Amino acid sequence: MTQVLVMPRQGNTVESCLLTAWRVEENAAVRPDQVVCEVETDKASFDVEAGTEGVLLKRLYAEGDDVPVLAPIAVIGMPGEDWRAAVAQDAGQAQAADAGEPPSGAGLPPLLPGASDVRPGPEAGPQRISPRARGLAEAAAVSTVALQGTGPEGRIIQRDVEAAIRERPALTAAARAAAATGASIPAHGTALGGRVGLADLAGPAVEPAPSQRESASPAPGASSGGHGETPLKGIRRIIADRMRSSLTTTAQLTFNGSAPADRLLALRNRFKASDPQRGLAEVTVGDLVNYVVAQVVPRFPALNAHLVDGTLRTFDQLNLGVAVDTPRGLLVPVIRNAGGLSLAALSSETKRLAAACIAGTVKPEELTGGTFTVSNLGALGVESFTPVLNAPEVGILGVSAIVPRPVLGPDGTVKIELRIGLSLTIDHQVIDGAPAARILKAFADGIGDIDLLSWGR
Amino acid sequence: MSTYDAIVLGSGPGGYLAAERLAAAGQKVLLVEKGALGGCCLNVGCIPTKTLLACAKHYLSALGGKPFGVQAERVGIDWPAMQAWKREVVDKQRAGLEASEKRLGVEILAAEGRLLGPGRVEAGGELRQARAVIVATGSSSVVPRIPGTQGNPKVVDSTGLLELAELPRSLCVIGGGVIGVELAGLFASLGVQVDVVELMDEIAPFMDRDQAAVLRRAMKTVRFHLGCKVESVEGASVTYRAKDGVEQKTEADLVLIAVGRRPNVTGWGAEEAGLDVHSGAVVVDDRMRTNLPGVWAVGDVTGKSLLAHSAYRMAEVAAADILQSPASDPAPVPDRMRYGAVPWVIYGNPEAAGVGLTEREAQARGITIRKATIPLRAVARFAAENGFSAPGAVKLIADAANDRILGVHMVGAYASEMIWGAAVMLEQEMRIADIKQVIFPHPTVCEAIREAAWEL
Repeated sequence: MTQVLVMPRQGNTVESCLLTAWRVEENAAVRPDQVVCEVETDKASFDVEAGTEGVLLKRLYAEGDDVPVLAPIAVIGMPGEDWRAAVAQDAGQAQAADAGEPPSGAGLPPLLPGASDVRPGPEAGPQRISPRARGLAEAAAVSTVALQGTGPEGRIIQRDVEAAIRERPALTAAARAAAATGASIPAHGTALGGRVGLADLAGPAVEPAPSQRESASPAPGASSGGHGETPLKGIRRIIADRMRSSLTTTAQLTFNGSAPADRLLALRNRFKASDPQRGLAEVTVGDLVNYVVAQVVPRFPALNAHLVDGTLRTFDQLNLGVAVDTPRGLLVPVIRNAGGLSLAALSSETKRLAAACIAGTVKPEELTGGTFTVSNLGALGVESFTPVLNAPEVGILGVSAIVPRPVLGPDGTVKIELRIGLSLTIDHQVIDGAPAARILKAFADGIGDIDLLSWGR
Repeated sequence: MSTYDAIVLGSGPGGYLAAERLAAAGQKVLLVEKGALGGCCLNVGCIPTKTLLACAKHYLSALGGKPFGVQAERVGIDWPAMQAWKREVVDKQRAGLEASEKRLGVEILAAEGRLLGPGRVEAGGELRQARAVIVATGSSSVVPRIPGTQGNPKVVDSTGLLELAELPRSLCVIGGGVIGVELAGLFASLGVQVDVVELMDEIAPFMDRDQAAVLRRAMKTVRFHLGCKVESVEGASVTYRAKDGVEQKTEADLVLIAVGRRPNVTGWGAEEAGLDVHSGAVVVDDRMRTNLPGVWAVGDVTGKSLLAHSAYRMAEVAAADILQSPASDPAPVPDRMRYGAVPWVIYGNPEAAGVGLTEREAQARGITIRKATIPLRAVARFAAENGFSAPGAVKLIADAANDRILGVHMVGAYASEMIWGAAVMLEQEMRIADIKQVIFPHPTVCEAIREAAWEL
């Protein structure tokens, strides 16, 4: 005897569901608990079970069809049975059910699954997305690659795409068209009314299209344990673009050196023990180095500059960028007029900006306008590194850890001295090797004689 | 010492609008002006020229009414009456501006202002402080180093020309840019024999080349001498040398110098205050901030776009930046100045207007374009109002790669009133397909834009 499987009712407001995928071929045998197909409302997706044993005689809808609730979607019976008669007979029953019977079970077709029969089914594959969600995403130019699905097993369903549309900024017409082809959309745009325009789109997305992802096999030699893929987005994406751009548009050259750190440390220890009223108790070694940098950089006009389109633009005022490690990635807040600040002011401003960066409350304008940058990895024990220019700036000073090093004393004996590592990267387009070495020496001298720095010229 | 939220130096379009926007937001604003309220635009630029042009158009309509069944006899020009009407319009506009500034609570100070440093201004013999200072000191006519132009009573700039007590019989215009072409068109319309001497090979170098030629040919009675360098001026006799080296001379009653304008960056303390001035203009970022904290600059003085409407927009960007609360969290998306969709207009006879890239600019950027030009007589209203032989065209330029509209250029009546729609198209980065879905009223001249979109 044939049984008609109908589209289950999903609450009183749902009039139709999307049949998203068939799990059973026609003429294949089914068990009662076997999932026959997947259906989806605008809020969730569900599996429909066979509810009886037999053979799937006929699928009445194709994948992607929008099916009214309680409409027959399949016929299950014995091989050779006539599915048409079953559907014709079922039509009367479905109308009766629609005509006022509560959808509680009694009076409904025997195979109508109750709500408890409908449960999220297991999902597989790198990204599951329902046809309805995919259709909406395509129409609205939403890239689904990075979406977190809230359907069963993380499946992306319509509401996820709707949320993504709500959360993203408005796009211009052309940007919308470009976004549909996979360009990544920043959180804020610079076009009309804050819309995202073509210029704001960071170009084609780095991640392959979903279809490619699903079929992509691991690279030769890759671990058989699978691999992770994280599209570069947001700040990470900006950092990636800037760093790559810096390395491709400049002629970077790094000079390594070191400076005696004993006076630096002694001064820092005096500050630490000083009356907090002076505002110096919180001054760090990094602040002292920044202070030296702020005094030294203005002495080399070509260093406090931007190189843009073949023109060197030098600045009277030093706006010092300070690299800050944050949970979101590298940020470089800018201390305005660092050369004009007292040590206490420089220290407190650095702390304020770093805290704002880490808290995510730093203002966009506090991240722009730098003319020279310091990147301090000393606290992490780094002994030497090659800082990457914060283009269009032409210089960046890397500061490494203070480590004991053997030095030859004037009397020919070897002694151990605490020294701080310095790595100056310059743009060789603008600054030659010998001047760069002199600049590095000026930094080293300033740090070595920091206790004299404030008193001289 | 007086203290304000904002002090604005200069009361041209950039200055007075910034003052209005800030005052409307509850700020205590001082507007400092050493000359007439409203700046060049209101007093000696945009408004008086457009008023006189309206007079010229009435005259031309009266003269050219015959094909339209209108007979007029003894049509003449009453230049003093035109000047009186111009003065009335300017005076009333200025009074209206003053009233609206005062209604908003803006304090207007007739004095020279001087920037002393961040937040500090000296004006009217008093030191004044403000959280924000907006520099809007405008621009001045460039005086070229041409022998015979200094101290020559027959040589005037646009301001002098507009104040003439009587019309000259002939006028030689040095410079075929927007001001030169506009005033050439105005005076030619009033029956003055006009010669234009231009160094470049075509007038209005910022215009699309095809359209510049359309505009030039439409000014039938004006004699253009292109690719000619003025060598000297003697009285009102202008000697210039053509590209082929041949020296020529044009005799006129009067000579107009219209070779451009230059930002006013001196005389108000820019250098002393430490303001970053580069290439003769105050350097600003896209929020109109200067290098000095608390000092913004808007309008011509920034050298970015010497147009009153650009100044308006810059003023609003600066005001928004000043008003943005530093404590607001999360920070709102900042308002930024964009220069990619600034429309320009030449109010000649006929008008010309454009926005976005010209064909040549697109090519220089390596963009493969699609283009379409529609003659305005193809649309019914234009033909009905101007006849079937009147010059005029709309040209659309789109990026072949993504169909985005890159430029819209037009010559002909109403161009000035249509171009804002094209600016919206560019700001919204609309594509050809998007424009095809816009409904244009019929019958209007702007239908030519729609026609051009369908031609692309």
